[in-house]
Amino acid sequence: MSVAKSKRLFAVIAMLVVLAMTVTACGGNGDADGGDGDTADLVEVKIGVSSPFTGDVAALGTGIRNGAQLAIEEAAPELEEMGIKLSMLAVDDAADPKTGVNAANQMVSDSAVVGIVAHLNSGVSIPTSAVYNEAGVVQVSPASTNPALTLQGFENVFRVCTIDTVQGSFAAEYAYDELGFTSVAVIDDSTPYGEGLAAEFAAAFEAKGGTVTSKDKVQVKDQDFTALVTKIRADSPDLIYFGGMYTEAALVSKQSKEAGFEGPTMGGDGLYTQQFVDIAGAANAEGDFSTSIGLPLVEQPKGQEFTDMFEATFPGQTIEAYDTYAYDATMVVVEAIKAVAADLGVEEVTSAAGKQAIIEAVAATNMQGVTGIVSFDENGDTTNKAVTPYVVRDGAWVPYTN
Amino acid sequence: MSAELGIIAQQFVNGITLGGMYALLALGYTLVYGILLMINFAHAEMFMFGAYVGLFTLQGLSRIAFFTSSGPALLLLYVLTFLIAMIATGILGVVIERFAYRPLRHAPRLAPLISAIGVSLFLQNAALLWISSRSLPFPVLFEVRTFRIGGASISSMQILIIVTTIVLMLVLDSFVSRTRLGKSMRATSQDRDTAGLMGIDINRVIALTFFIGPALGAAAGIFSGMYYGNIKYNMGFIPGIKAFTAAVVGGIGNLRGAMLGGFLIGLLESLAAAYISTGYKDVIAFVVLIIVLIFKPGGLLGESVAEKV
Repeated sequence: MSVAKSKRLFAVIAMLVVLAMTVTACGGNGDADGGDGDTADLVEVKIGVSSPFTGDVAALGTGIRNGAQLAIEEAAPELEEMGIKLSMLAVDDAADPKTGVNAANQMVSDSAVVGIVAHLNSGVSIPTSAVYNEAGVVQVSPASTNPALTLQGFENVFRVCTIDTVQGSFAAEYAYDELGFTSVAVIDDSTPYGEGLAAEFAAAFEAKGGTVTSKDKVQVKDQDFTALVTKIRADSPDLIYFGGMYTEAALVSKQSKEAGFEGPTMGGDGLYTQQFVDIAGAANAEGDFSTSIGLPLVEQPKGQEFTDMFEATFPGQTIEAYDTYAYDATMVVVEAIKAVAADLGVEEVTSAAGKQAIIEAVAATNMQGVTGIVSFDENGDTTNKAVTPYVVRDGAWVPYTN
Repeated sequence: MSAELGIIAQQFVNGITLGGMYALLALGYTLVYGILLMINFAHAEMFMFGAYVGLFTLQGLSRIAFFTSSGPALLLLYVLTFLIAMIATGILGVVIERFAYRPLRHAPRLAPLISAIGVSLFLQNAALLWISSRSLPFPVLFEVRTFRIGGASISSMQILIIVTTIVLMLVLDSFVSRTRLGKSMRATSQDRDTAGLMGIDINRVIALTFFIGPALGAAAGIFSGMYYGNIKYNMGFIPGIKAFTAAVVGGIGNLRGAMLGGFLIGLLESLAAAYISTGYKDVIAFVVLIIVLIFKPGGLLGESVAEKV
């Protein structure tokens, strides 16, 4: 092939490429223009959602994303009429503080993000709250229960779930008064969530007159608790209380029963997922207790409505512990966006002043959510302090009744 | 037996079960080091890979009604599961050696080390993306019975793990010390180049090493799945570190040392968790490692080899 010929060939190819690009671009524009007449006029507003979508506690984390997605899909048409195009920006925090801070920075660097529904783990929520505070964006946590989160003096931090002090002391009183346990071995997983919950439980249990036979710490990702449960068995307490997540708690339940310990394992909302039963084995988990924040879904004011909506959108998936909380947390932000859009105008929603106004609107929230009446006290904690005890019966968590 | 003695006995049972798994995994580190003087950081992933192959084989085969129909058939099912997982993982080990380590055999010693870390990351992330990011329950198809002896109890699962581990170790030990192939492995370990000159096919011996180590690692992985009831993509990391420690404590390159080290680390961990602190059990295991290395730098059974000049 001569040089001239190959040059000509190159020119032809180049022209074709340019032509193809132009056509694609036209097509793109055409779609945008043709689809909705006024899409271009809508103000783009996003709600950031972050929780563990991968890793050990992904079951609870993806549930949070599902709940938030339901709320956003439900609210989107109404906001579109107001001139706002609402969407979700979901980022994985892998239940890891470092990944969580990266996720937080990624979300707040998008100026369209006016509110954050995040995170699952208190250990992630606490460091990221500083990022949200710096950026002046509201954070509503659906699931982080460590009291320290809202005691940092950040006016932008809220949560729709009950705190560990409430949950831990509720569990202790319930175990002592209703279930009749008088001695307990307390274990925690060395995370802010697990430590906080276990400490509250132990203090409240002793205050009731119960005995704490031992207090131990384990590490997240440990698998072998046989030595620990053997030691606990020797003290023969009535109950093991585990402050932590289901991954370790399920192994404690399994290994304690295999070691011949006859008492149940009890824990907080971190255990309240079917995965706990699957990992421990149904026979071992039978009779184990957990407490979870709020009322059981069937007793929640809009529980049935939520269940129907969930099953229509996510067929084949199960509702996890925090789905309804994520839904309510997202709705809190949505309501604040609506209020600010009405007050300051649609254009102002994504400005710094708009984001500040959203924080103020969230603080003043008083709405009927799926989990009950949602409103916040001066710290940003929910005023809804219901906690429900659950027990494993026939391989599934059910609300405990005497 | 007094209650206190019973508890100590129980902690020994716990520790030996755990130590058996560490020891099986440690053998893989020590075999490869003995022959190539290389630390195979991807070995922890053999533990994970073996467990996944074991799980899928078990799930697949248990759909065939025959295997769950009677006791002997169930035993056959488990034997097959172990065989398939060990062979598949062994083959993976050979493939990794062929493509990730052999091209670097004459490169500076850091290069294969980094390659091994790369393989480890690759395999972990492959399992994360292609299989699941969550823990998968590992079914146990037979009834686990618990036997009580004095104050201690031992489950049929623990007996199975301890017995199988010891059998596998005895087989390996006599393979290396009695057979022709074992002899060529020992020769290669002593001096690779001279062994080659004596007519030993070095590549074959190295491939064999990379088959045996991962196969044993796979067995440990399945035990871990059966014992703890679940497996996940990063399950190899912590046992990998412990097993590597065990290999070093025992004297890296020495097979019996790796076995001893594995049981020692398992026991130490159990006793430390029981009598000192659960939170610090890993710290205690590593403190022992450091103490051993200060007084016996070659490890407990390691030979003190003079530096080659």
